[in-house]
Amino acid sequence: MLTIEGLKKSYAGNDILKGISIDVNKGDVISIIGPSGSGKTTLLRTMTTLEEADGGHITFSGIDKDFEKLTGKEVNTIRRNVGFVFQNYNLFNNKTALQNITEGLIVARKVKKSEAEKIALKALERVGLTDRKNHYPSQLSGGQQQRVGIARAIALNPEVIFFDEPTSALDPELVGEVLKVMQDLASSGTTMVVVTHQMSFARDVSNRVIFMADGHIVEQGAPKAIFEKPSEQRTKKFLTDILANV
Amino acid sequence: MENIKLIINFLGQLLPAINITLIVSVSSIILGSLLGLLLAAARLSESVVLRVLASVYVSVVRATPAIIMIFVVYYGMPMLFNDWFHTNIDGWNRMYFVIIALTVLFSAPVSEIMRSAYESIAKGQMEAGLMVGMTPFQTLYRIILPQAFVVALPNFANSVINLLKEGALTFTIGVVDMVAKAQMIVANNSGGYAWQTYCALALIYWVISLAIDKGVSQVEKSYQAKRKTIAV
Amino acid sequence: MSLNTDFMVKVAQTAIQGVPVTLQIVLVALVISFPIGILFALIRIYRVKVLQRVVQFYVSLVRGTPIIAQILIVYSALPSLLNMIIGRAAFAINPIYYAYIVFTLNAIATLTEVFRSALQTVDKGQMEAGLMVGMQPRQTFWRIILPQALISALPNIANTTLYLIKNSSLAFIMSVKDITAIAKTEAAFNYNFLEAYLVVWVYYLIICYAAEVVFYLLERYFSKYRRPIKKTSGFNWLPFRIKQPKLERKQS
Repeated sequence: MLTIEGLKKSYAGNDILKGISIDVNKGDVISIIGPSGSGKTTLLRTMTTLEEADGGHITFSGIDKDFEKLTGKEVNTIRRNVGFVFQNYNLFNNKTALQNITEGLIVARKVKKSEAEKIALKALERVGLTDRKNHYPSQLSGGQQQRVGIARAIALNPEVIFFDEPTSALDPELVGEVLKVMQDLASSGTTMVVVTHQMSFARDVSNRVIFMADGHIVEQGAPKAIFEKPSEQRTKKFLTDILANV
Repeated sequence: MENIKLIINFLGQLLPAINITLIVSVSSIILGSLLGLLLAAARLSESVVLRVLASVYVSVVRATPAIIMIFVVYYGMPMLFNDWFHTNIDGWNRMYFVIIALTVLFSAPVSEIMRSAYESIAKGQMEAGLMVGMTPFQTLYRIILPQAFVVALPNFANSVINLLKEGALTFTIGVVDMVAKAQMIVANNSGGYAWQTYCALALIYWVISLAIDKGVSQVEKSYQAKRKTIAV
Repeated sequence: MSLNTDFMVKVAQTAIQGVPVTLQIVLVALVISFPIGILFALIRIYRVKVLQRVVQFYVSLVRGTPIIAQILIVYSALPSLLNMIIGRAAFAINPIYYAYIVFTLNAIATLTEVFRSALQTVDKGQMEAGLMVGMQPRQTFWRIILPQALISALPNIANTTLYLIKNSSLAFIMSVKDITAIAKTEAAFNYNFLEAYLVVWVYYLIICYAAEVVFYLLERYFSKYRRPIKKTSGFNWLPFRIKQPKLERKQS
């Protein structure tokens, strides 16, 4: 459904992504793990055109093109067919929870207001925040904000939702509620690509785990295989280090 | 080209009057800063009366146009002195009145700048100073003030530029400063070359403002450099 | 102290006719300079070639020169300029238009800086979030970023308004019949200067405080979704195209 080939990105002479290829199929829940600075977040941001790629090819919703040759229209198409959940939630500060969700529907998708509100309420219900619909982001806890962020993404009914470290800005006691929502989404068949430090999520929820280091995909496969029998030395080291700290 | 020559010519005629502007500005800055310091101290004091008085003063001055302040001081002070001290100050140099008015105008924003700079630094730093055994005065003098100075500097410079500009109203009570001089030149030319004359006037003020900005950013830079070396 | 109170009452009655003139100057200047200030701020933020230099020059010039010099320049240059274009009719123009021009030009410079710093306080994530729900950069700017910037600019807009009110007291130099001008004439007529200016002072205090109350109420009304701005990332939210600025980035 979404195929990326040879994705490259560099900042000021530093190669952050050195040719990444990923295949996302419908219903996949892919976890991307790896040490800090390995390019996980950059990968997500370039795949979704939030940042311009320096090279690579994308096949997605009728587009089959090199990143550099994407037209403005095609960029829009990509953005319209993906959802994105940010590390810092990035809810619109001047909109209520409900308006945060309806905004994209009404403005970008031209959905009627009443219809948009119905969709938004349903999305809020899925994340368990119906009673907070008229709250502004500043009046919500971090966990609640992130759940609204997820509702905002699912309301647009995208083909795939990207999660950029959705729990790393949260206080530890708020991580659970967000993971729970993500787990529900996964089990309902939503296609998800998740950059995460939550090894439990990667191991228990996803159907594929990608281990990245230094701008490369070092290894990928079923969570069982990666966590129990990693074939690469780097993966082994990363996992022992991180699991030792849990 | 013709116009540029004219402007340069007018610059030469206006510049001698710059000393009035400088005397007025510098005196007001010094006096206004002292008054501002007292006001800031009043606003930070324990006494409710002092705090209220100081904040009323600041808010009234903040809402007063410079020209009204100058007029009220110029016309009001002689009357006040006459009634209260039975002294006649009509013969005072008119510059004094401008300096008093500008001192009052300057003291209000400056007190606010000092207060907020002090508050932004004071809390933790004072505690830290006391905990390493310094006296409150030592902490204030050695730790807080140097830091507050850096915080306050850009806003202080801004207020100085405002004061400089308000000082351009000195002419309204008959002191022959650069503005008055410019008007005289225009009158002597029977109204001719007016905008060139006033452009020359504006140019002088602009250069002074730019110089103040430049000086401040230089000082800031040197402080930042210090900070960095400490951090590393 | 012997103030002529009868005269003060009389001045109060006459000078009140100048209040609408003062308010008119302030409002016209604010309304016109508002959108231009936003435009100029954007030119500065997006570093539009050449134009940003022009704006920077303009702001520095206006900020660095006294309003009295600006008044004298406009009031001496404009009539003769207009005279060349529309002939004698230029001298029949109501001087209040010159006041509008001077104070608008002045307010544009101040508001440019106000909006520039306000726009920079909006986190770049707001723009990204807008793009990722499928909105165009322009739509995100109008619907998400500008409203947030305007609210954080409110205190500074209030300050600008206060300055405008106070500076408008110099409109009398262009023979505009504002509060100060009326008081001046009355005072010169009767030789009761102090009384006249005290009355005018009270008027300015009232107008300024009224303006402050209005802005206070506006701030309170809009504060419902204000939170302390925690982490501002400068003007990194600028992707009007997909081209991304090479600024701060996080990676993991």
